[in-house]
Order: sequence, then structure tokens, then C-alpha cells
Amino acid sequence: MNDMNTVLAEYETGPITREMLAQYAEASGDTNPLHLDPAFAQKAGFADVIVHGMLSMALLGRLLSSRFANRALLKFDARFAAILPVNTSLRCRARLADVAEGQPDDGHLRLALEAIDPAGTVIITGSAELAAAL
Amino acid sequence: MAIDRAHVGYSLPAFTVEATPERIAKFRAAIGETGGDVRVAPPTFMKMVEGEHNSSRRILDTLAVDLRRVLHAEQQFDYVSPILAGDQLDVVRKVSDIYERKNGLMEFIVIESTISHAERGLLGRSRQVVLVRNPKPAVAA
Repeated sequence: MNDMNTVLAEYETGPITREMLAQYAEASGDTNPLHLDPAFAQKAGFADVIVHGMLSMALLGRLLSSRFANRALLKFDARFAAILPVNTSLRCRARLADVAEGQPDDGHLRLALEAIDPAGTVIITGSAELAAAL
Repeated sequence: MAIDRAHVGYSLPAFTVEATPERIAKFRAAIGETGGDVRVAPPTFMKMVEGEHNSSRRILDTLAVDLRRVLHAEQQFDYVSPILAGDQLDVVRKVSDIYERKNGLMEFIVIESTISHAERGLLGRSRQVVLVRNPKPAVAA
């Protein structure tokens, strides 16, 4: 179990601002008003606009692209466990994942990913598989 | 209101998207990406590609889902070959499953996409799970 769960990469996004949400909406085409219009977000039951899950996932994905070529990536999965209000920061972390018992050694690198808000709430749990070595 | 399960299998007409260098650059800027090869699309760029032509909204409209009740619950990407700047991409999206939890208070829509290139074949797949938060039913009189 020596190398299991070793933190491989980690960074703090800094507050995810309204401007960042607007810029992401424009670049991605996801113009859902839940991320842009506070009045709409309130009608949906939130205090203010919330961060696009896909923006949080993209910020988490920077852990992968900072270390590996995009070409090496085989799978990238996210489960959005909680909503993230605007102006909140995320701590993004990648660890070496446990290798399942009896799993053939295909040489792929498997990572466990998470994005956590400053209160410790897990916003995203995810995983990635890469055709790469450490 | 429950989503009509007859929509399982519903597919949008296939559409084409160009991964222009400008779009990749704009996407990289929006996610704060500064490293890596600028000609290769970032890992989550597939979402931008499949979402072109307002396709997600059109699927939800077809399913008569109220946008205020929708949250993104899960996202999975499989990568076969990278999307490169200048690629013309063929996108096919379909509703592959609809299911419920908590006696219908939560409904889940699974949307699967394939992104292909005429010469290089399948480049990647996307699988999205959308959560619909339904209101508690009124108590019958």
C-alpha cells in the first residue's frame, strides 16, 4: 500500500468569479441562466448563481494537462456531489488510485480526483485513466 | 411531472462543428489553461463541441423539462484520439436512459454523444447524467 493515495498534484483555483462564469458561458456555449442570472438562480432555489459543473471539471482537468500530454488521456469522469456558489475557491487534488484486486496490469495510470470547497465540502469526485507512466 | 419514458432513444439530427483554433484558444482562456499544446483541445472541450447549436437545451425542451429544475449530476469522457485545431467534427447525441429515484422526486436523464472525424473515425464519447429535481407532489384531497 506504499504508493497508494499519494497526492500527485494539487492546486487552489482561487475564487471563481461572475466574470469567469460569463467567460466560460461564452467559450463553451453553456448559457444556462443558472450560472449568469441571480434572479433565475433564486427561482431555482439558490441564493446566487452557481458555478457550471463543467467549469469546475475543467479546472480539475488542469491537474491532468499540467502534468501529462492531452493525448495520453483515455478517460476522465466526474460526479458533481454538491453545488458550488459563485466566488468560492476550489482545491483540486489528484491522487494515485487504488488498483483493484485482480485487475490486469495494462500499464495505464489511474488517478482519483477531487475538488473541495474551503469548508471541506466535496464538490466533485472523479477519476482519470491515462496511457502514461509517472 | 414525470418525463415521458418514450423519449429514451431520442436522437438529435447529427450536426457538424469546426474546432477552430480560435474556439480552442477561447476555451483554454476560459478555464485558465496556459500549458500544453495549443493545437490540441483540452480534455473537457468535447462538452463545447456537443453543446453546439444549443443542442442540450433542445434535448431538454423536447423532454419538456423545466430548466430551473436541472442540475448536471455526472459527466464521463472517453478519449480515442485527440481533437485537433481545424478538425471538422461530426456529433451524434441521444437520450440513452431515463430513470428515477426517491419516488420520482429525482429523475435522471442520460445523454450520450459521439464525436467523430471523417478520416480519423471516432475521436471520443461523452456521457452526461442530468438530474431533474421534481417538486413534491401535492397531497391528494
